[in-house]
Amino acid sequence: MSDGLLFEVLRRSGRWPAVYAVTALAGAVADLLLPSALGRAVDVLVAPGGEAGGILLYCVFLVVTVVACDAVAVLAAGTGGAQASRLLRMRVVRHVLGTGPAISRRFSAGDLVTRAGSNAEEVGAAPEAIITAGALLVPAAGSLVALALIDLWPAVAFAVGLALIGLVLRAFLRRSTAVATGYQEAQSDIASRLIDALSGARTIAAAGTEDLEARRVLAPLPRLHAHGMALWRVNARAGVQAAIVVPLLQITVIGVSGFRLAAGEMSVGDLFAAARYAVLGAGIGSALGYLNRLGRARSAARRVREVLDRPAVAYGDEELPAAQGAHAARGRLELRGVTVCAEGRPVLRGIDLTVPGGAAVAVVGRSGSGKSLLAAVAGRLVDPGRGEVLLDGVPLRRLGRAALREAVGYAFERPVLFGATLAEAIAVGRPPGVARTAARAASADPFIRRLPRAYDTPIDEAPMSGGERQRVGLARAFAHGGRLLILDDATSSLDTVTEYQVARALTEELRDRTRVIVAHRAATAARADLVVWLEDGRIRGHGPHEALWRDPAYRAVFQVAGPSPAGAPAAALGPPRAAGPVPVAERA
Amino acid sequence: MRVRDLLWRAVRERPRHLVRLLGWSFAEAAPSFASGQAIAHALDDGFAAGRPLTGLAWLVVLAAAWLAAALGARQVLLAIAGIVEPFRDELLRRVVEGTLHRAAASGLRTDSAAVARMNRQVELARDSLGAVIAVVRSFLFSVVGVLLGVMTLMGSVLPLVLLPLVAGLALFLMSLPAMARAQREAILAEERTAASLAAMVDGLRDVTACGAEDRVAAGVGRDVERQARATGALARLTAVRTVSLAVGGWLPILMVLAATPALVRQGATAGIILGTLTYVAQSLTPALGSLVQGVGVNGVRLVTALQRIMSTSERLAAAVAAGVCVPKGMLLRLRGVTFAYGPGADPVIRDLGLAVRDGDHLAVVGPSGIGKSTVAALVAGLLRPDAGRILIGGVPIEELDRAAMCRARVLIPQEAYVFRGTLGDNLTYLAGGRSRADLDKAVDAVGLTDLVRRLGGYEAEVDPSELSSGERQLVALTRAYLSPARLVLLDEATCHLDPAAEARAEEAFAARDGTLIVIAHRLTSALRARRVLVMDGTRALVGTHEEMVAASGLYRDLMGRWEAPVGADT
Repeated sequence: MSDGLLFEVLRRSGRWPAVYAVTALAGAVADLLLPSALGRAVDVLVAPGGEAGGILLYCVFLVVTVVACDAVAVLAAGTGGAQASRLLRMRVVRHVLGTGPAISRRFSAGDLVTRAGSNAEEVGAAPEAIITAGALLVPAAGSLVALALIDLWPAVAFAVGLALIGLVLRAFLRRSTAVATGYQEAQSDIASRLIDALSGARTIAAAGTEDLEARRVLAPLPRLHAHGMALWRVNARAGVQAAIVVPLLQITVIGVSGFRLAAGEMSVGDLFAAARYAVLGAGIGSALGYLNRLGRARSAARRVREVLDRPAVAYGDEELPAAQGAHAARGRLELRGVTVCAEGRPVLRGIDLTVPGGAAVAVVGRSGSGKSLLAAVAGRLVDPGRGEVLLDGVPLRRLGRAALREAVGYAFERPVLFGATLAEAIAVGRPPGVARTAARAASADPFIRRLPRAYDTPIDEAPMSGGERQRVGLARAFAHGGRLLILDDATSSLDTVTEYQVARALTEELRDRTRVIVAHRAATAARADLVVWLEDGRIRGHGPHEALWRDPAYRAVFQVAGPSPAGAPAAALGPPRAAGPVPVAERA
Repeated sequence: MRVRDLLWRAVRERPRHLVRLLGWSFAEAAPSFASGQAIAHALDDGFAAGRPLTGLAWLVVLAAAWLAAALGARQVLLAIAGIVEPFRDELLRRVVEGTLHRAAASGLRTDSAAVARMNRQVELARDSLGAVIAVVRSFLFSVVGVLLGVMTLMGSVLPLVLLPLVAGLALFLMSLPAMARAQREAILAEERTAASLAAMVDGLRDVTACGAEDRVAAGVGRDVERQARATGALARLTAVRTVSLAVGGWLPILMVLAATPALVRQGATAGIILGTLTYVAQSLTPALGSLVQGVGVNGVRLVTALQRIMSTSERLAAAVAAGVCVPKGMLLRLRGVTFAYGPGADPVIRDLGLAVRDGDHLAVVGPSGIGKSTVAALVAGLLRPDAGRILIGGVPIEELDRAAMCRARVLIPQEAYVFRGTLGDNLTYLAGGRSRADLDKAVDAVGLTDLVRRLGGYEAEVDPSELSSGERQLVALTRAYLSPARLVLLDEATCHLDPAAEARAEEAFAARDGTLIVIAHRLTSALRARRVLVMDGTRALVGTHEEMVAASGLYRDLMGRWEAPVGADT
């Protein structure tokens, strides 16, 4: 299955792998022929009155072939690899985006980046690795044959010597990994000390203790240095052993050939060729290294395949029914028998709920009761295992992607912002003017205008606190959810004053949209038209806040979330209600 | 400091290792000198002359040269380590100091990914410097060895080897700048792709929620495309570069062969021709190949990594307090202070005037993002006002001595800083040499007693990740309480404490000698203060609670909301 991906990459890389294969092989063959040609040339040329022309031209031809093939092969391998990894990467990117957040439950973020990044690149380079291994094996194996053809004895000497190389390299790998671990530990010790200190940057700035901190962070440096030197010593020893093997191998071959020369069995040119073939033949080690790379490419292909095998979310193509009349209720949300499992355990069980268009519903419950999952199901960030979610009578699964995302806006506890500037991060594809209006409703406008370049400030240059980030996330939701706003704990980091301002916007400017608000604070629940109280994935109760408040178990939900203020004026518990009729919610 | 100076210093500062490097390089270069000679003699005097034992003897000489070279190579590698490892230490020191100073001066957070990235750059710089030193040095010694060897074999062959070599080198050097640019572009493009992939993966939920899959795919696609183009361009240049290798490495072989009949007429033997070819094929071509590869790739990597390191390790000048004065008294005064975060931004603070007497207790109230923390940062001297002055004890804070300033005031921000070390070290971070009794008193006053007991006393090692946010804030508060500063600035420093713990901590500071300014997270902080500064975005008003209720609509509104509240809100 992973090999299938490799073949597909090979097929889709166009003509480059073929060009590479031809040039690499031609180059390898020329490489193989060159020593014997040079040897023959020497024999002919040193002989008195030797005729130079033919053999010299042959050598020139071989050298030109070697160089030209080398140049074209480098070009073909680089260009072909780049093209293959680009295609594969884009396919992975589109697929990951298509599967949506579901894929992050299967793979961690770092893992996914590795698979789409360096793994895709390794797969893209797989054709090169296959061909290079082949192209290296040709001269290496061919040299052995050529050597044997010149004379059997040097070939035997060579084969015995070659076995030594393998032994030395193996011993080296074992030793260096042990020392490398100590080095990496010291390194990550310094890194984590630095990360700690950076989290206290303001404290350090105010206390003027930058130099003290630098000394503390760098305390493991001598240890790092010692491990580093040890690593060099291991490398030096192994490197020396590896470096001496090939020359000694060659000298042995020359020595054996010398005796054959003295015996009149070999010519001077033969001896030169044998010496060169010994060097070429030693290259069999790197050919094996390339086979190793092929193994890596296969496992990379398997890892990429696993990502591509995750099912993508399928969207329908239906639109939402148009609103009838300016004030007709839009955004009626229905959950029918919704059950969602996570890791084989049901987290939501058989939820039936209808929220009338334009109502504000608060979802409360202890942590782990399924609040966030309910919010995710309501706007199709997650599909229910059983049951159906409908918006204005249309099942969400049948809605087109654009129609769905225009109708539903999400705000999260920790929003991740994307786009070049803050304006883009809020508007995300909507006209830029939308950003400002939405930011005002989310109480984000004043602080954004105070940023270095106001709405045009790049996101990563905008120093934002958790609360400010939440407000930008709220603005983004307000800019998008035309019918349904889902706020998943999206005001938890706001201070009392700002939370009050946002709550006012939610009950005034945004009251034409249906609002689903996951909340920890009683105040938020009290402001909603209806409260849905979840416990262990089921609806334990629903109704207005003040009705539920009589139940001590309901009150206990909020006492866990945060103790009531001590030393502060006693809080009266009757929530203020908006004037006028209260939208009624019923269980379907 | 420029990259070139940094490199030059790294090499020059270790003369002992440099001498060792050059000395052992002679040993390492022995085969490049000996190989051709040994082969020539082994043939002419030995195998070809019917004296195989003499030939063998010459081969033993050659083997000995290789053994010497191997020993030399080991010493050379260790000498390179002696230069490169201290270089890494120096880079790491620069990165750590620079990052800390910048983070402190700019207030911008550096994330763990950035730290990992810098770590990689340092490793890359170390490895590539080692590779470049090794390659350049081995090339120089090989060339000298080969040229000497060829000259001793037969002087008239020398131009046949030397001229193509020089031409090949010239070609290589000419291609180097373009190569460097392409290599650099490829490295940067790879990093950009990795960064945009990471951003995409982190934001999957949000991208889906906004229906922005196509936009994001297009954005990532641009980076992927650019990387493919950069890699392709690099491959094209590398292909062209092989020509310089052909000229410098292969042409001498062909020229020697072409000239062989003429050389033979001048008295060259088969051994001499073979020796020369051995020199070129065995030593010169591989050395040139590693030079081209080593400098073309590692050299560029080295420079790119160093430029990166330099740009992250530059220090920013401290915002204020660069003078030499010492404050006279603790009266804090702000006069017409205006501050904006950039030329295109609305001012956060506009024409703020304020006087806080020694011993006062002031709470700053207003919606978040309105500039309360900015006031704290300005007063602490972490930001410099665009207009107006801030004076402590009658001295403008930019004229204060930094150490004196740090002793005079303490700022505790929202994100409490606790480091790995003993609890005692954490507590006495701002005040060395406090007695155990002082510590006990402070711990008791702020409310840290339970935590001290749980951790096992002041000598216990603290792992910040094992403390809750509230516990970290209590440690930071106790540290501020112990500091010698008379002016205490709590910037939402109690936001993770429950209201009772917050009240206890704030009251401890109110009872402590000196001035207390609290940036309020909860409105209860205003009720405990002697005076309140209300910021509503257009103006700032200051007075007692009662005065503010009378004067500020926002304050009245907030207090009304809060005093007749809507459930058990915290």
